Amino acid sequence: MRSTRSRYLRAVALRLAAGIPVFILVTLGATALSDLMPGSAAQAILGDYATPEQIAALNAEYGYDQPVLVRYFDWLGGLFQGDLGQTLFSRQPVAELLLKRAAVTFQIALVAMVVSVLIGVPLAMITAARSGGWLDNTLRAITSVMLSIPTFVSVVVLGYLFSIVLRWLPATGWVSLFDDPLGNLYYVALPVMCLSVHQSAYFYRVSRSQFVATLQEDYVLVARAKGMSTTYIMLRHALRPSLPQVLTVFGLSLTFLLGGSFIVESYFAIPGIGWTILSAVKAHDLPVVQAILSLTVMIFVVVFMLVDLGYALIDPRVEVS
Amino acid sequence: MSRPAVDTEALTAADPPARRRLPRMSLAEYFSFAFLALLIAAVLFADAIPGLIGPNFPYGDFSQPPNWSLNGILGTDPLGRSVLSRIIHGARATLTIVCVATAISLCFGLLIGMLAGYYRGILERIVDLFANTVASLPPILVLLALITATGPSVITMTLTLGFLEIGTYARIAKGGVISQNDRDYVLAARALGASDLRILTREILPNLFPTLAALMPPLMAGLIITEGSLSFLGYGIAAPAPSWGGMVADSTDLLSRFPLLMLGPILAIVLTVYALNTVGDYLSRRVDTRDRQL
Repeated sequence: MRSTRSRYLRAVALRLAAGIPVFILVTLGATALSDLMPGSAAQAILGDYATPEQIAALNAEYGYDQPVLVRYFDWLGGLFQGDLGQTLFSRQPVAELLLKRAAVTFQIALVAMVVSVLIGVPLAMITAARSGGWLDNTLRAITSVMLSIPTFVSVVVLGYLFSIVLRWLPATGWVSLFDDPLGNLYYVALPVMCLSVHQSAYFYRVSRSQFVATLQEDYVLVARAKGMSTTYIMLRHALRPSLPQVLTVFGLSLTFLLGGSFIVESYFAIPGIGWTILSAVKAHDLPVVQAILSLTVMIFVVVFMLVDLGYALIDPRVEVS
Repeated sequence: MSRPAVDTEALTAADPPARRRLPRMSLAEYFSFAFLALLIAAVLFADAIPGLIGPNFPYGDFSQPPNWSLNGILGTDPLGRSVLSRIIHGARATLTIVCVATAISLCFGLLIGMLAGYYRGILERIVDLFANTVASLPPILVLLALITATGPSVITMTLTLGFLEIGTYARIAKGGVISQNDRDYVLAARALGASDLRILTREILPNLFPTLAALMPPLMAGLIITEGSLSFLGYGIAAPAPSWGGMVADSTDLLSRFPLLMLGPILAIVLTVYALNTVGDYLSRRVDTRDRQL
């Protein structure tokens, strides 16, 4: 029997080892983006009226005339020193800019995830206890509609409802959590609601089917035979064994929330990653796009590692493979 | 310990007719099939619908609420064009993109996935790596990154969407082949001396279709949402041409004065995604029922 700590270390190491090829593929692809530009990359970025000197200067700094592998190793070398280059036009360090913007996006994504779990999982526990009942059927119908609402529809509808009709929440703008926590709550509410429409229904669906499966186990039958209340069985017997399955969808949920943040941030003018990439797309700002792709894939690898670790913490029987 | 008694009655009972074995359709499922059929018919015969004007023709007052005429049933947009006509023509563009992308990912995904499931080894590793890599990025991020380099184009979008889904279909096909590989009918075919190619295409492939048919509609719904999001952001189908995402974006300019403008495109996209998800649910219930009876 291996010790507990070595089991956790193994989980982390295995997941990281699986994540490295993914990271390399994505970052290499991101570096190769400039090769896809029509004609020479520097010419495409600077436009038709650029002088040869300007093009030469851009090439000298960003190396767009170098082969992709040379650029990749340059970039990788910079990454280990925390240097991701400068943005093309405003000349800010990419790493610094991105960290500031990522904090905004992750605050929204994290709050949305917590809200969705807090709505979805308890509702799932209630309906799974009486599966097939009227509440179960009603929620099934409601959640299938909620799962069909794209983020770009929920921002328009909820934005209209809460900022134009009711005038409760601001339609645009952002206040940082560190500057003004209460003001931040005011600005974060609408984006979080928009992202939670789909996600709370998603967490509800996933956890409901898991709870229903757990409730068919023999030990639940034994607990019932001993005369324990449904509430006690749900909280003490069904919750913990059902959690790992719910935990596995956190990674998927994060990908969804990140994709959704592009829409939410562009619609409500919130200075997060999504907003940054949309302005970078307009300006052909490749260094920024490259850094966002790399950051996203790194987060993904880390989150999946945490999910595996959480898996091992919740269920000691799990052997990480 | 005695073995459980064999339920002879069930074994000897006549096989019920095939149709009766299918799970019953709910009202929502009937509605979804009907809606999709209507949508496909409208898209195919858009030009033959009597009285329906073109999607770019300003035929009446701008931003009108719905009224009882064919072209005005969903109102007019800020330029006085028929919302219904734009929705139908927008559906044509969206469904074309989605079908082409799905065809690409289905063909390549099946090919790679089946080989990976049958021969395993390095091919299986490659399929897993590819699927993991694609799953680590929101598709809209990949598309935006490509657009930064190549500029917005419908063809690039379609090909990229198709390319990104190859891993998903490959994984489904791989799993299907692995689960079918040990079944008796495959062993029988092998014992009879069938070649690998024959086993894969004649024996296993037909058995993958029910699962694929159940998983395809929700994946297509996902593509519709991605395409819609991109058009909403202004990087999908370019402006004068009608698209659902673009129509939702257009409606936001005058939202406080004409909120009904968003009704048409929102209904179209939510109903279509709902119908595809529901049809997928029904088909996968059918696969489950079928598997239990095997």
